[in-house]
Amino acid sequence: MRSTSQGTIFDGKDTMIQLIHVSKQYDQRSALSDVSLEIGKGEFVLLMGPSGAGKSTLLRMLIGAERPDEGQIFVHQKNVTTLRPSDIPYLRRKVGTVFQDFRLLPKKSVFDNVSLPLLVQGVSSADIRRKVTEALRAVGVEHKRDQLPAGLSTGEQQRVCIARAIVNGPVVLLADEPTGNLDPVLTSEIIELFKLINARGTTVVVATHDPLVMAQVNRRVLTLSQGRLLPEQRGLA
Amino acid sequence: MRTLAYLLRESWVNMRTNRMTTMVAILTTAFTLACVGIFLLLYVNLRAAAGWLQDDIKIMVYLDDRLTSDSIAEVEQHLRSDRAVASLLFISKEQALGEFKAQFPSESHLLEGLGQNPLPASYVVALSPSFRSPDAVKRWAERVRQIAGVSKVDYNQDWIDALATVIRSIELVAIGIGVILSAAAVTIIANTIRLTLFSRRDEIAILRLIGATTSFIRIPYLVEGAVLGALGSALSLVMLKFMYELFRQQMRTTGRFAGLDNLMAFFPPSVCLALIAVGMGLGFAGSFVSIRRFGEGKA
Repeated sequence: MRSTSQGTIFDGKDTMIQLIHVSKQYDQRSALSDVSLEIGKGEFVLLMGPSGAGKSTLLRMLIGAERPDEGQIFVHQKNVTTLRPSDIPYLRRKVGTVFQDFRLLPKKSVFDNVSLPLLVQGVSSADIRRKVTEALRAVGVEHKRDQLPAGLSTGEQQRVCIARAIVNGPVVLLADEPTGNLDPVLTSEIIELFKLINARGTTVVVATHDPLVMAQVNRRVLTLSQGRLLPEQRGLA
Repeated sequence: MRTLAYLLRESWVNMRTNRMTTMVAILTTAFTLACVGIFLLLYVNLRAAAGWLQDDIKIMVYLDDRLTSDSIAEVEQHLRSDRAVASLLFISKEQALGEFKAQFPSESHLLEGLGQNPLPASYVVALSPSFRSPDAVKRWAERVRQIAGVSKVDYNQDWIDALATVIRSIELVAIGIGVILSAAAVTIIANTIRLTLFSRRDEIAILRLIGATTSFIRIPYLVEGAVLGALGSALSLVMLKFMYELFRQQMRTTGRFAGLDNLMAFFPPSVCLALIAVGMGLGFAGSFVSIRRFGEGKA
């Protein structure tokens, strides 16, 4: 992790995410203030901070759901701040997202939920079957493929959400408080899952305020406080 | 292929999920379009009736009593060389008298009292189809009046003008009502789609987050709008056909306007298909309006 106070020149191939002097305000309240950071390819980064620190805002900016008032954002060598709205879906196909509230479609089976990112890309039926099966197997819920989300435990629902995020092989996985609804055992399982995904080369950014996660991950930590980036620290061993 | 199947299935699921709203939208669209259809049907039938009357129109060209047979031949030559004239029939003074006596036997003594035949010789002229419009007939009659030896040109000018005015009025009313009610149909379908969009806003947000393009998100709702419009239009045609048959039945049983029921006609299949296509277009437009308002840029 290479965050700088002055920002850096975008150095291309080894950098996956870069923010240069990014600021954002909502109703004159500062959500992010002059944030500059850099995340390399294949890194696992924790984005820590209390509620309202600006973690979710930062993640939403990385997928083009929010635009900064100032500064520039690069993801996978694309300048997100200058992307046309019609190009944003193509950015999101390279960035998987995992949410605290899972955001699964309640009337669709596990299989159908996980196949959605492939469907929107027009992937063939045979490839969808293969990739969805692989993703479900990777997160350990292959046997639940025909069930509706309501029939799953919260841990299983989060696994399905992760399967949906990785099914099309994204270069970056963003997770916003992914363990917020889970007990310590399930939290541990989910974090191990993220580590596995990261080990396969995917850059992983997990936003959390849970110290348990930081203790378990033991990776680079970015801390936001009232929209400002604090000096870098390592996770606890 | 799977994507297309998914999009069509989503449209079907939308309609099934909001069954009641869908039914109400189809019914209200059907009633709305049926109102337009009534005027359209009236207009089509009156246009056809006007066409028959125009086809049947006969113009009487009366000749001056003092004309010699040579002069009459000159007039006839003039008329025959006119490209507006389709057919020509000469009625001599004697034939005119004979016809009068045959048609009004009780009045024939009136003419006998005059001592000489007062009825003029005439030509009965039928015009070519392209010269049968009210304006063309009027212009032709004015031109023929200038020919030496022609004393009068007569045809049912008032009747033709009145019919043309009625048709024009109905045309205007049909257009006016059509535009207003079509806008109403668009609004009805737009509101239905808006309800669907609202009920599925979470799902739309998820689709956006996983990289669905705007068109991928829009297609199921556009298909839904088009289907609602097409079904509404088809139902309005069924309603119209029912009313039309009921009306014809009434005419037959009461005996009024005898024979007219055979002249009436419903829309031909091509027009029915065109009306369904129009309904589909209105539904598509309604859906498009709602989707635009819903906002495509939201995450």
